[in-house]
Amino acid sequence: MAVLLIRMKLAVLRNSMNGQRAVRLVTGAVAGLTLAAGLILLAGRDYPVTSLRFDVLGAGFALWTAGWLLGPALFGGGDETLRPEQFSLLPLTPRRLAAGMAASSFVGVGPLVTLVAFSALVVASVKTGLGAAATVVGVLAVVLQLSVCVLASRLITAVLGQVMRSKVGAALAALVSAAILAGLHSSWVLSPLAQSALRTGFPDSFSAWLTALPSSWGLLAVRAAAQGNWPTVAAVLAGLVALGLLCWYGWAGLLKRRLATRRASGRPVRMSSGDWARGPVTAVVARELRTWSRDLLRFHYLVFALCYALVFCLLPLAVGASIFLPWTGLVFALWVAAISANLYGEDGTELWGRLMIPGSARHDVRGRQLAWLLVTAPATLVLTIAMVVFTGEYGLWPWLATVLPALLGGGAGVTVLVSVLRPVPMTDPRLRGGNLLENGTDFAQVLMVLILSAATTAPAYFTARLGPVWAGPVVGLAGGTLLAWLLGRWAAAKLESSAPELLQYLRTGVSPRRKRPAPAWKPQKSSLPKPEPHLEKLGLHLAPNGQRVYVVASLVLCWVPLAAQGIVPALMLTTGQITPSWFLALHLPQHLQWPAITAMICLGLTMLITGLGIGLHYRAKSRRAGGELEPTTR
Amino acid sequence: MESSGTAPALRLAGLTKTFGDRPAVDHIDLEVPPGSFFGLIGPNGAGKTTSLSMAVGLLRPDSGRSQIFGVDVWADPARAKELIGVLPDGLSMPERLTGRELLRFTGLLRGMEVPEVERRSGELLEILELADTGRTLVMEYSTGMRKKIGLATALLHAPKLLVLDEPLEAVDPASAATIKVILRRFVRDGGSVVFSSHVMAVVEQLCDHVAVIASGRVVASGPLEIVRSGRSLEERFMDLVGGQAPEMGELAWLSS
Repeated sequence: MAVLLIRMKLAVLRNSMNGQRAVRLVTGAVAGLTLAAGLILLAGRDYPVTSLRFDVLGAGFALWTAGWLLGPALFGGGDETLRPEQFSLLPLTPRRLAAGMAASSFVGVGPLVTLVAFSALVVASVKTGLGAAATVVGVLAVVLQLSVCVLASRLITAVLGQVMRSKVGAALAALVSAAILAGLHSSWVLSPLAQSALRTGFPDSFSAWLTALPSSWGLLAVRAAAQGNWPTVAAVLAGLVALGLLCWYGWAGLLKRRLATRRASGRPVRMSSGDWARGPVTAVVARELRTWSRDLLRFHYLVFALCYALVFCLLPLAVGASIFLPWTGLVFALWVAAISANLYGEDGTELWGRLMIPGSARHDVRGRQLAWLLVTAPATLVLTIAMVVFTGEYGLWPWLATVLPALLGGGAGVTVLVSVLRPVPMTDPRLRGGNLLENGTDFAQVLMVLILSAATTAPAYFTARLGPVWAGPVVGLAGGTLLAWLLGRWAAAKLESSAPELLQYLRTGVSPRRKRPAPAWKPQKSSLPKPEPHLEKLGLHLAPNGQRVYVVASLVLCWVPLAAQGIVPALMLTTGQITPSWFLALHLPQHLQWPAITAMICLGLTMLITGLGIGLHYRAKSRRAGGELEPTTR
Repeated sequence: MESSGTAPALRLAGLTKTFGDRPAVDHIDLEVPPGSFFGLIGPNGAGKTTSLSMAVGLLRPDSGRSQIFGVDVWADPARAKELIGVLPDGLSMPERLTGRELLRFTGLLRGMEVPEVERRSGELLEILELADTGRTLVMEYSTGMRKKIGLATALLHAPKLLVLDEPLEAVDPASAATIKVILRRFVRDGGSVVFSSHVMAVVEQLCDHVAVIASGRVVASGPLEIVRSGRSLEERFMDLVGGQAPEMGELAWLSS
C-alpha cells in the first residue's frame, strides 16, 4: 500500500514536471539546502559559552519546525500531490489510507532538505566531543524528529483546513499569519536582544522554554547520552515516537472526516433589515456590508489587517518603544486597502448580473467605495484615538489628522480602481469549498496596493511638513475626497466600457486582449487554476537568474532602509522620542540626520520600485505564457 | 428603426466568435418572432451558450449584430437591456445574500421604487415556492432553487423577452414544472422566450419555434412543425447533426 502510493506520487511528480516546475524545484532545494548549511555551520562554529551551541541549535530547530507547521497555512495548500479524495472509492480503511499517505509525505524535496538540516544535531555532537554513543543517539533522534515534523505538519494543515471553514477558524488563522508576518517585519526590535544573547548566552528561562519544545528533544537526548543518563535518553526518544504516532492518529481521524463531509453546512445567517437601502448606491453598500460579514475570506482578511496592525505596533513595546502605537489605525487602514483590492475578482462571474442592469457600473463602484469606508474608517478612528489617549501623544494630532483622511480617501479610490484594472480571477464563491488555504493571495497585488495607498498620503504629508499646521489636515481631507472621487470615476468608466471583457477574464482566467487560443466560453468549469505559490506565483520563473535574485533580495531587504532605517528614525525625530538603538541616522551628527534618513528612504524606495517593476514585468510575461498552458492544465 | 410592435423579439445577424483558431460561433443568423416560445437545440459544444451570451451583451462578438425588438444590443445597450431578462447557465450570483435580499438589491440597482420591489419580489418568491427559504444564502441553494431565484431576478423588471440558457438543466421535476408554468404564462401574456436545451422532449413540449445549432452554425430554423417535418424532433435532430446510436457489442464480462 505505502510502496504503491509512493510510486504513484513519484509518477505524478514525474508526469507533471516541466521547465517551470523543475526550476521551482531546484530553486526551492537550493534555498532549503542553503538554510540547512547555515544551520550546520551554526552547529560547527565556536561559541564563548558552551551551552550556546545547543541553545542556538534549539532555536534553529524550533524555527525550522515552525516553518513546517505554519508554512502551508501562510503560503497556501501544503503537499496535495496525492489527494485522499482520489482513493475514497477504494475499499481501504481510513487508517490504512492515512498510513500510505503518511509514508508518501516523506517523499519529496522538503523532507530531504530537512533531514540535512537536522543532521546539524550530529555535527554538534561530534564537534563538542560527546562520544560515539551520543552520536548514535543523535542519528536516531534526527530521523524521529523528521518524522514528527512531517506528520505534525500534515496534522496542523488538516486541522486548519477544517477549522477555517468557520468564522472562528478564519479569525484564528488570520491571527496566526498576521502575528508571524508582523513579527518578521518588526524583527529589528529583537536584533539588539539577539546580539547580546549571542555574547553572553541565552537567559535561563528562555533556554528552559526552548528545551521543553519537542523540536529540541533530540538535543536533550544527545546531551543526556553524553552524560550516560540512559533513562532520560529512552524517555525522550520514546516521547518523539509517541508524538509522531499521535500526530498520525489525529491526521487519520481528520482524513476520515475530510472524506465524509462535503462542505460546512449552511447555517442560517443573521438578518439585518437593510431598510436604509432605498436607492441603487445604498443597495450596493448594503450588499457589500453583508459580503464583508458573511464571506469567510473577507472576514479573514479584515481580522488579518487588525491583528497585523496590533502586533506590528505593540511588539516594539518589548524594547520599551511606544513610537508606533499612535499609528496603529493607519497601519490597519493601509492593510485593509491592500487586501480588498480584488473586489470583482473575489465575486467571480457574478459580474454578469451587473452587466445586465443599464447604468449600474457607476452605482456599483460608488457603493463599494462607501462600503469600504464604512468598514475601515470607524475602526481606524477608534484605534487611533484609543492609542493616542493611551500613549498621551497628543502632540501628534496634526500629523494624524493630515494622514488619516488622505489615506482613507486614497484607499477608497485605489481599491476599486485596482479591482477593475487588475483583477485576479478566483474560483466562484460557491465552488470554493470551505478551505481558505486553497485560495492563495496575490502578493504582488497586495504589495502594489500597499504602496499606491501609502503614496496617496504624500501630498498631505509634505504640506504638513513644509506648510503651516492647519494646512496638513485641510489638504489631507480635500486630497482624500478628491482621490476617492476621481479614482472611483475612472474605475466606473473603465467598468462601463469593458465589463464584457472583464467578465470573460474572470470566467476563463485568460485576458481577451491577447491574440492566442482562449478557452471557449462554456460554463461548467469547476475552478480556475490555483495560483502556484512562490516563484511561479510571483512570475519570476521566467526571469534570468541575476534579476530574479535582485527582485527577491530587493523586495525582502528594501524594508530595512525604507522602514527600519528611514521611516522609524524619521518618526522618532519628528516626535522627539529618540532611541538610537541600531538606527544609523540617529548616531550621526545632528545636521546629517535628516539627509541620512532621506537617503535611506530613497534607497529603500528605489529597491522597492525597481524590484517590483521587474517582478511585475516578468509576472505579466508569465501570465501570458501560463495562459497558453491553461486549457491543458485544467 | 422598426417599431417594437413588429420587430423580431431577437434578431441575430452574422454573429461570429472565434476562440483561438476555432470558430465557436460561425455567422449565425436567427430571427425570433415576437410572442414566440423559441427553443435553441444543439449538441454539447455547438455554440448555444456563446451565441446567447453575445445576443444579450455578456460576450462581445468578433462581428455581426444582435437586436432586441429592433434595438442593437451593442450600440444601445442601456435600452436593449431594459427589454430583456436573462438567466445564464453556470455563472455566479450574489451568493452571500438570501433570495429576498437578492431580489430587493437587484430591483433597487435597477432604479425601482422600494414598495414596487417589495410587492413584486414577494409575489415571485411565493409563486416560485421560495418564500420560506428565509435566512438561507443563495450559496446554499440547490440547483433547482438557484434556477428559480435566477428566473425571479430575470422577471423582476417585467422584461418583454426572456433569454434562458438551459433553464431546466439538472432541475428536479417539481421545480421544472413550476418553471414551465411560469414561462407558459409569460408567453400567453404577450412575452417572448428564447431558451437553449439539449432535451428534445422539453423543447417539443413547450416550444412553437425551434432552431438547431451544430458546430457554430444554424442548420435548421423555423416553426416546430416545419423543422420536425412529420417525424419526432429527436430523429430529425440526429439527422441534422449527424449522430448515430452505437452498436452494442463486447463488454460481455459485464453480464452477470
